[in-house]
Amino acid sequence: MKIVIDGEEYPCEPGQKVYDVAQENDIYIPTLCLNELNTGERPAGCRMCLVEIVEENNEEPNLESSCSLPVSDGMEISTKSRVVYDERREVLELLLSEHQQDCRNCGISGDCKFSDLSFEYDIDGVSVCSECPNRKDGCFLSRGIICLGPITHSGCNAFCTRNGDPCESCFGILKNKDVLLFGLKDLDEKGFTREEILEAGKVFSYEETKSLEELIDENDIFNKEVQE
Amino acid sequence: MKDINIDVKHVTRVEGHGNIIVDAKQGKLDEVLWEVSEAPRYFEAFVKDKPFTQLAQITSRICGICSIGHALTSLRATENAMDIEVSGQDEKLRKLALHGENMQSHVLHVGYLALPDLVGQGSVIPLASSHPEELKKVISLHKLANEISRVTCGRTTHPRRLIPGGFSKLPSPLELEKLKTKLEESVPVLKEVASFVKELSPALPDFERETEFISLTHDDEYAFYGGKIASTDGGITPVDDYLSVTNEYVVPQSTAKYTKNNRESYMVGALARLNNNFDQLTPLAKEVAEDFDLSPVCHNPYMNTIAQLVEVVHSVEDSLQLINELLDKGIEEQGLNYQPDIEPKAGTGVGAVEVPRGILFHEYTYDEEGRCTKANCIIPTNQNHGNIQHDMEKLVPEMIGEKSEDEMELTLEMLVRAYDPCISCSTHYLDVEFR
Repeated sequence: MKIVIDGEEYPCEPGQKVYDVAQENDIYIPTLCLNELNTGERPAGCRMCLVEIVEENNEEPNLESSCSLPVSDGMEISTKSRVVYDERREVLELLLSEHQQDCRNCGISGDCKFSDLSFEYDIDGVSVCSECPNRKDGCFLSRGIICLGPITHSGCNAFCTRNGDPCESCFGILKNKDVLLFGLKDLDEKGFTREEILEAGKVFSYEETKSLEELIDENDIFNKEVQE
Repeated sequence: MKDINIDVKHVTRVEGHGNIIVDAKQGKLDEVLWEVSEAPRYFEAFVKDKPFTQLAQITSRICGICSIGHALTSLRATENAMDIEVSGQDEKLRKLALHGENMQSHVLHVGYLALPDLVGQGSVIPLASSHPEELKKVISLHKLANEISRVTCGRTTHPRRLIPGGFSKLPSPLELEKLKTKLEESVPVLKEVASFVKELSPALPDFERETEFISLTHDDEYAFYGGKIASTDGGITPVDDYLSVTNEYVVPQSTAKYTKNNRESYMVGALARLNNNFDQLTPLAKEVAEDFDLSPVCHNPYMNTIAQLVEVVHSVEDSLQLINELLDKGIEEQGLNYQPDIEPKAGTGVGAVEVPRGILFHEYTYDEEGRCTKANCIIPTNQNHGNIQHDMEKLVPEMIGEKSEDEMELTLEMLVRAYDPCISCSTHYLDVEFR
């Protein structure tokens, strides 16, 4: 019995899991929930070991957690495709949204899988909103008050918004473009203007607002008024 | 007689960079200079065109020690310019915040910066082994002061809850109750620290120079938060006419402007406040002042350190009073994440607040949109520089022939430290042509 991982054939036994075959052959698949203490049934809980089952004529990519995926003869697996990387990254971001932020630069243990993976998957922060306790009416944005939480690097435990004042981006504008764009679109939808955002950002992040300006222009955000 | 050549570059245990230069040949004084070498700062330019909501946050960064004082002065200027009302409850909480900062700064200066001189040490670190119990008490007072700031402003430095029109978040009654207990517990500690300083106080130089003392004064209270400008030379000036008191001018040896009023220089700070408003001190504070034979008008600048100690006692007692009043009346709730609806309008406003080192002025002019078109900030230390210079000019000739060069150097350094200067804050916007 054989399976193909990243274009190479590897022998395997029926009932084996894809993750274990990869391990035996030194093919790296990240995981957060599998460890030497966890020998019983696999929880498949962290979802970081996602791999793609490559099949012809697949409209949607078929992603499975490799730790619980049994091998079948001739199965073709990709551990390195773009889809796999993106999905794992999203999984990691979701996991980190409940975590003390700025994981990448944390040195508390010096040996932390989260921290390593943050580097590997280039997770450069999640927005302040992930740490902010204000919901619904408490949110400044829903009250028409400019708050830079959605586009600001978290790590402050949302100090200002916890103290009743909107975020002024003192931790810096998010470096992760995807999250940043998401935040900008959010601000756009809530009716804030490009000028309001740039002005608020200039107090603490003057330099960064320059690249922010470019990003806004490239991605055609905040142009509703122009069209009207 | 030996030539004297003192060149202290820079004076330690003060905030910022300043130099003392003394040149004397054959017992004759050539030159004595208090130099301020700190780079000028441009906060007045930073805030130009900024909306009024951002100003307190920006100007609070002028100083890490007086951040609450700067924020409050800035807010008062903005509130005066736009006629924004602040509730009685918020005013009390602001006064409490100011007491917190005043204690933070005074305890830091008296306990960590000035005390080493009195026990003949170069820094506070050796005191940890020579006077561990006393030092722990000083630290516990500092901790209490930080706690007051945290409860009222959200954090110990750079207040976050102070906004135009009041507070974005109020402390809970429970937090105030806890603070009250801690303040009550601190009273015996304060007395012990005061008697410790009293034991050491003979080491303070006995030097007097008549000068003018300027501070705020208020009919109903020992003025910190608002009032009118008072001088020991007589006369009450409304805060709006502060420029007629400060009269700034530029000297070549300093990147900070100097000021003068009735005389060649004047002094601001704890001693100035105490000289102007002695009768309004709380009972225990008065008791401590009398222990040190400190009564108005005291012309010994070294006693500023003692005046600060007296003010710490006053702040604790007055904070207790404020908390009691707040709790008795009950904290009036405001909405979550309160941001008052303020209609900006054009105008000019002056704010004056007594911060730890003396009277602080901010003045802003706003346009119709509430954007700042002009700003001016006059910081206490830059009002004191002239007085330091003139004190030195009188003190040095008195010491020549009496003291060794090292002793002179120490006495001069102690003089500068007594003013508790915050040098980097004092170098505000300048039009100086450097030669």
